[in-house]
Amino acid sequence: MLSEMTSYYDIDDILAEEELVSVVFQKAVNGVGIDPSSETDSVESGSKVELPFWLAQELHLRQVAVMALPSCFNQRTRLEIQADAAFVDLRSRCQFFYEFGCKIAPLVGDRTIGSWLLSTLKSRYKEVLTKAHSAVFAASSKYLALLSKEETKMYEAAQSSMTAFKKWRMGGPRFQRASFLSRKRKSTE
Amino acid sequence: MYGRKACQLVKELASGEKGQLTHFNSDLFEQVISECQQHHLELQSLIRKVQEEGLDLQTTKNEDHFGALIHHLALVRNKRCLMAYVHNRAEIIRSLMWKVVGSMIPPEIQEKLSNSEEEYFKKHSARLKEYMSKLELDLTVDMVPPKDPYIQVRVLDDIGEGIVLSDDKTANFALHSIHFLKRTDAEQYISRGLMEELTG
Repeated sequence: MLSEMTSYYDIDDILAEEELVSVVFQKAVNGVGIDPSSETDSVESGSKVELPFWLAQELHLRQVAVMALPSCFNQRTRLEIQADAAFVDLRSRCQFFYEFGCKIAPLVGDRTIGSWLLSTLKSRYKEVLTKAHSAVFAASSKYLALLSKEETKMYEAAQSSMTAFKKWRMGGPRFQRASFLSRKRKSTE
Repeated sequence: MYGRKACQLVKELASGEKGQLTHFNSDLFEQVISECQQHHLELQSLIRKVQEEGLDLQTTKNEDHFGALIHHLALVRNKRCLMAYVHNRAEIIRSLMWKVVGSMIPPEIQEKLSNSEEEYFKKHSARLKEYMSKLELDLTVDMVPPKDPYIQVRVLDDIGEGIVLSDDKTANFALHSIHFLKRTDAEQYISRGLMEELTG
């Protein structure tokens, strides 16, 4: 199921859908090897299995299995984010925290997820921008490890626009590449 | 788990630097395809089983039906991953092609391509050449708007003597010699790494 915004070929979207979700089967299924605890190639009704989201979603929609809320959106994470949003390690919880959250939200029947994701982003965004504009590389690498993929992209965008702005203000060559672009280019050739 | 290998393939795309090609992973690619064939066989046998039991395929929702469904979903997923792998690589190939139109594929790129990608590269490059000759315009020069039509260059490789330039003069491009050339003349050598522009 593709939303209108994402492309069929979108790498990040594909990877986001590989995140594991725990489901409880409502129906028995034959001839599949997806339940590691089962000794036969079948899944019994009531068994709890970890499935990638792309599969769990379709089974959930067809009422073959019921999806549980993934742990990265559970109460504990919420409390941690409430306490100090900017320094919660989102990457280790889920690389595509927001993307995945948006996919999960309409399925698990928890109406608070959407607004919670938004407020999480709002409170972390400020720190991302501040760090991108001020931190030296050595200090920032530790902070970068906490960011989800989406936040990393914002961080990089903020940094390159700041570099471009500084160059413009100095009145230097207008068409010079931002430093991080030329770094990426170098190894192409 | 189903689709794991296909996702591994896509991860390889994601971990590479933007705009750069990695080696075509034909080994993993083939493995995913044979996984697809396996899904297809199991899907068929489950459907046969439903039919042999004399049940209606359209309305039956038993455990065999759901098994077939899961194999179907796994097939669709694998397909998406394979397509994304090929599609995203093709995009990179097209952008690299602009840098070497009209010449052979550089060996460091060629070794990373699969057979069909190589063919794609050649054919696409030939089409572009054909288009440019119809337009009588070289689209590959001046990808960045130049500030000055003339530039100073140093020759990095012995290119040879008596090379005719666009103003009908000949030049001797000996190794390490420095020339003041029309940008359009120099560009093709620079893009092949035979000259470098001297700046400042």
